[in-house]
This record gives sequence, C-alpha cells and structure tokens, in this order.
Amino acid sequence: MLKNRYLAFLFAMMLLVLAACGNAGTKDSAEKVKKEEPKAAPTEMILATTTSTQDSGLLDVIIPMFEKENNVKVKTIAVGTGQALEMGTKGEADALLVHAPAAEKAVVDAGDGINYKRVMYNDFILVGPKENPAGVSGDDIMAAFKKLADSKATFVSRGDDSGTHKKELGIWEMDNIKPAGEWYVSTGQGMGQTLQVAAEKKGYVLTDRATWLAQEKNLNTLQIVVEGGKDLMNIYHVMQVNPEKHDKINSKDAEKFVEFMVDPKTQDVIEQFGKKEYGQSLFKKYTE
Amino acid sequence: MDLLIDGLKKAIDMILSGDQEVFAITWLTLKVCLISILISTLIGLPLGIFLGLTRFKGRRLLLMFINIGLGLPPVVAGLWITMLLWRSGPLGGLTLLYSPTAIVMAQILVSLPIVTSLTCTAFQQISEKMLLQIKALGATKVQTLWLLIKQLKIAILAAIMAGFGRVIAEVGAAMMVGGNIQGDTRILTTTIVMEVSKGNFDIALALSFILLSVALLITAALTFLQQRKRIS
Amino acid sequence: MSPLLELKKLTYQAQRKMILDIPEFQIETGEFLGIMGPNGAGKSTLLKVLAFLDQQTSGEVLYRGQAIPNGNAPLELRRKFSIALQQSLLLDGTVFDNIAIGLTLRKVPKSIIKEKVEQWMELFAVSHLAKKNALYLSGGEAQRVNLARAMIVEPEILFLDEPFSALDFPTKIRLMEDFKGIIEEAQTTTVFVSHDLMEIHFLTTKLAIIVNGEIKQVGPTPRVLEHPNSSTVSFLNEWKKFYPVAR
Repeated sequence: MLKNRYLAFLFAMMLLVLAACGNAGTKDSAEKVKKEEPKAAPTEMILATTTSTQDSGLLDVIIPMFEKENNVKVKTIAVGTGQALEMGTKGEADALLVHAPAAEKAVVDAGDGINYKRVMYNDFILVGPKENPAGVSGDDIMAAFKKLADSKATFVSRGDDSGTHKKELGIWEMDNIKPAGEWYVSTGQGMGQTLQVAAEKKGYVLTDRATWLAQEKNLNTLQIVVEGGKDLMNIYHVMQVNPEKHDKINSKDAEKFVEFMVDPKTQDVIEQFGKKEYGQSLFKKYTE
Repeated sequence: MDLLIDGLKKAIDMILSGDQEVFAITWLTLKVCLISILISTLIGLPLGIFLGLTRFKGRRLLLMFINIGLGLPPVVAGLWITMLLWRSGPLGGLTLLYSPTAIVMAQILVSLPIVTSLTCTAFQQISEKMLLQIKALGATKVQTLWLLIKQLKIAILAAIMAGFGRVIAEVGAAMMVGGNIQGDTRILTTTIVMEVSKGNFDIALALSFILLSVALLITAALTFLQQRKRIS
Repeated sequence: MSPLLELKKLTYQAQRKMILDIPEFQIETGEFLGIMGPNGAGKSTLLKVLAFLDQQTSGEVLYRGQAIPNGNAPLELRRKFSIALQQSLLLDGTVFDNIAIGLTLRKVPKSIIKEKVEQWMELFAVSHLAKKNALYLSGGEAQRVNLARAMIVEPEILFLDEPFSALDFPTKIRLMEDFKGIIEEAQTTTVFVSHDLMEIHFLTTKLAIIVNGEIKQVGPTPRVLEHPNSSTVSFLNEWKKFYPVAR
C-alpha cells in the first residue's frame, strides 16, 4: 500500500494544533479566572483614538490603569481623528480620544458625542531640513507657511484626514493659500511614516511634538524650525458616544473613561509621561 | 546595514530573554494562522476535490468566482468582514469585531479560494482512464478518494502551503478587523506596521525575523511532509 | 449450466450514435476470448460494459445467469474481475505497493499480501524492482507490473485492453510468452481486446470479430481465422498480408 503514514501524520499534526489551541484557550481563561477570582468577567469597551496617542506610548500606560480600576477590557482602535470621529458617529465605538476641535464640535453639536471634556495638550511644531532652504524660523506659523508656499519648498502633508492634517489645512486656510503643485506632497499615511518621507525628500512637515520626540533619532536630516506660537496648540478631548443614538453602546464604561481621563490622578500620570526619556512631557494636563 | 545587524541581535535577544509580549504575539500569530489554514483546508480540500472530479451546471461559474477570489486583496476581505461585524451590521450581535476570531474569518476568506482552486486544478488533471483503473482495482468510492488524495499529496500540500503563505503574510485585513489591540489581537504583521510607524525600526526588523522564522518552520515542516520518501 | 457472463439485447449509445448492438453473446469459464476489430469498432466499450465499469443503454448483462442491475454492480461482484489497460496507469509508489494494491483495497492481512506480492513479482520477473518507484519503469517493466497487479487478486475474469500494443517487438514477445504461461497455469478466464492479429493468434482460444458495434463472427480462434465469413473477410485479410498465421 502506498504510504498511509504521510496523511496520518498530517492529520495528526492538525489535530495536535487544534488540541494545542483548545488547551491554550482553556489555560488562558483558567489564568484569567485565577487572576480575577473575586470579579465578574470584564466588560468590553471600544476606544477610538488617534495614532499619536498610541505611537507615543501613552495609551500603554494609562489604559491598563483604567482597565484594572474598573474591570473593563478596553479595545483601543488607533486610527486618524477623522476615522475615529466617524466610528463615533456610526456607533462603532463607545468613547473617543481625539484632537481636532473644529471637527469634534460638529460631532458634539449633532448630538453624536456627549460628555465632551478637554483632557490634555501638546503642541504642533514645524520641522524641516537642517539646510532650511526656505529660511523659516520663530513662532509665527502663518508667516512660515506663507514663506514655504512662496519659495515652493517641498512640504509633506499627512493627507489622511487626521487631526494633524486638519490642523495643517486650517493654517493654509487662514493664510488663504490653496497648497498644490509639485512641492506639496501628500502621503496619506500616519505621522511616523510621513516624517520618514519628509526626511527622505528633505521637506518641511507639520507634526505633533510627541511623535517628533519619539522619532527624532531616525530623522537626522530634520530639525525643528518653528515652534511655540499660540496657533500651534494641539488640544485633545475625550467624549463618549451618545448611547441614545445606537444600540449596543457601552455608555457605563465610556462615562467612567471620560471621568478617568480628567481625574487629577490620571492627569498627573499624563504630565509625567515621557519626562524621563525625553526630558520633557509629551502631553500636558489641560482640563477645564 | 548596521540596522540589519541590530535587528537580528534584537530578535535573538527577544527570543533568548523570553520577552513575554513578543512570545504572546508570536503564539497568537501562529494560533490564528494555523486555525485559519486548518479551516480553509477542511472546507477547501473537499470542495476542490468535488469541483475537480465532478461536472455539473454552474460549476464553471462557481470556479470563476473562486478564481477571482485568488486575487482578493486582503483589505477588501477586511472591509467586508468589518462591515459584516459592525455593531450596526448583520452579525453585530456577536460582538466579534476586534477579536482574534474576526482575524481568523478574514484570513479564511483570503486563503480558502487558494486552497480550493489549487486542489481543484490538481484533481481535474486526473484522467478518466485513471479513475476507471482505480475503480477496476476494486476500490470503493471512499477508497478511490483516499487513493487520489495520496496520489496528489504533493499538489494538495502545495495548495495548503500557498494558503498558509497568504495568511501569515497578511496584514491589511488583520489590522482592519483585529484593530491591533495590545494583548488581544496584536499579531506579528500588525505589530511590525505599528512599530514602523512609531519609528522603532530595530524592533520592527527583529519582529520581521521572528515572523520569517515562524513561516520558515511551518513551511519547512509542510515541505518535509510533501517531499518525504519520494522513491526513485 | 449458465455461462459465466452473458449479454442479452445489449445496446450502447453515445450522443445518439449506436456504439454497440449485440443481441446475444456468451463468455464461458476457462476460455481465453479475443475481441478483435478495427479502431472505433466498440471493443473498449464492450470491455467496460462486460466488466461492469460502464452502463449500457438497454439490454442486460448476466453473471452466472443472474441479471446485474445496470450501472450498479455490487462491489463483491466487481472485485471478482480485474482489468489491465494499454497504459499501465501505475500509482506513485513502489512496485511492491502497486502490485499489492488490489489486495490492500480488499483488506487482506499484511503477511498474506507480502507472500503473494513476492510470488507474483517472481512470476512476472520484476522481483528486482520491488522497491523502485513504479512511475520510473520502462514500458515493458511497467506493463509487467500492471499485469501482476491485475492477476494478484486471482480474478474470475481478467479483462485486458491492448496491454501489449505500446511495447516494442522483442519486449512484447518476451512478455507475451511469460504471460501465456502464467495464464495457462492459473486457468484464468480472460477477455482480451486487441487489433493485432499476431497477439490474438498467439494467445486466444476463442475469437469474436467486432465491426461497427456488431459482433460479426464468433468461434474458436483458428477456425475464425481460417474461415472468415463475408462480413469479416476483408478485415482479416488485410491483417493476413503481414502475418500469414492461418494457412
């Protein structure tokens, strides 16, 4: 008979994998049960937020705190602010942590977002090539953008409807400039990748400070050229999705999450975050 | 070049130091991919055999759809599964979005056509005469099937390997339906994407080496099974 | 006593074309029946219908006087028959495993299989190939394995569809001589389809000439060859030009 054993072996391997998975599953849940013996199974909450909060590592610190205190399993979906707000509007998330005040206001006014609270801020900065061909400096971002457009120096835009992108478009609008042409590059990607593109193309780029600090080590060709102006504030708000508009919204935990974010204890953690590594806070407390 | 060596060092470091998170991510990747390919095989193999050996009305149309599925972009699969699993979607009640199960669903969607189509192609090439000969040897239907599966072992394992290659390399759908949630749906490919966007190229590179090692091990095992004891 | 196999009012059509039309025909135990005819005469189809591997359009096939349901012959009955085709159609595996397959499918104990395979490999002079992959054999070797594979189950009827026709002449002669000895020893009833007069003359005891799906003449082989009737004379005389087998 032709070798029966191949298939027997293959079959056995598949069974083994299944068994392993089964075992793993029971083991996992067994551990969970052990860890949280006195508690009930954790409830689940979906947090839609921006890539900057995840990429900076802030969420890795504060989310576990919240989960532990409230017996909640938070599912963090890090996307652009535009998409995060859209998830809120559609009822696909329970809470939002975002940074595009004008767009957020529209969501709150429409009644899709409630319990809207200011949480923290950092600032946007303009970084550019060390040679600084457009010769921009100081703290006036509007003047700097005008100079960039005039000199047609390469500018790299997120182009992804994120909070940072919205901010950039706002500045162009205040300047009454419609950025277009070969010098204006739109990546459609996250902040990290966009900074990479700017470094390779020796272009100027608007970024949040947290991402810049985290990535500076990979970006030798770039430096900060404009910072500190009041127009460069990057403000983060938290809100919960209106449970009356959709089924299945976990408003109980979302409300707790909003309260948690503005709690003085959490605010201190936010303020301290990154100080050790970068010598400065990546986000500053900023409640109302 | 330095980065490459750093990455390799870091990968070895991560493995030797028994980094809990890396281990958990690798284990989840393995689990998700193996379950996906197992289910794809359990469905795709019989379906491919059936489509390869029988002739019926609508068969060609069905095959055409399966062959289109060969080129189904993972993000499209991801998008469909996402919409299906949305709270407002038809399967929203199951609350499966952003869970490993959702990743498995998306991966089945992209690997099932590969397993089915390649299996079907192999079985379609069996001649009428061969089927007649096997029947004439006194085989029952089940024995015939078993005999054919053994004859086409190489092609079947190639189909499974191709499907596995697809699921382990897949990132777009896993990102979309899994959400890359720490300790829950973070698998090797999505972690690599995240670490790249964080600018942690050394970690990303280290993870890529781990991913390649995992892929290599599985594929090597399947290749071993495929090429074993081929008598000359 | 009823004949071993019997056809009654059998027709076989494909795409409205009559392939076979046989009012009656018998196969008796112990005979070596040759079925000969030009290409497309319906020889292979007849073989398949007789071996219960294809369904006739109408009429009956009887086994020992009993009508067998069309297209639904019981497995035990099918397993009493064996078939070897022109292409050897061996499976990917050793020569040993290939010869053993009929017994393996019949779930014969391993020790008996080993003994029998060794015996049949010996008879067909392929013992030295036992561990070789059957797909890498020469044409003559492959056909020997093919015949051994068919014979090992000790069939009540052995069906052969031109098993020698693809072989070169010396190989063919050697294999046919060996095969004839084995069949005579085993006394297996054999149905042998061929279009080659030399093969027919050398091997068969009874001969049926089939032309256009109809059996035109049946009888002991020497008699048919010596006294072709009006329907078969032209076909047989063509052949006799090359093989003056019947004086």
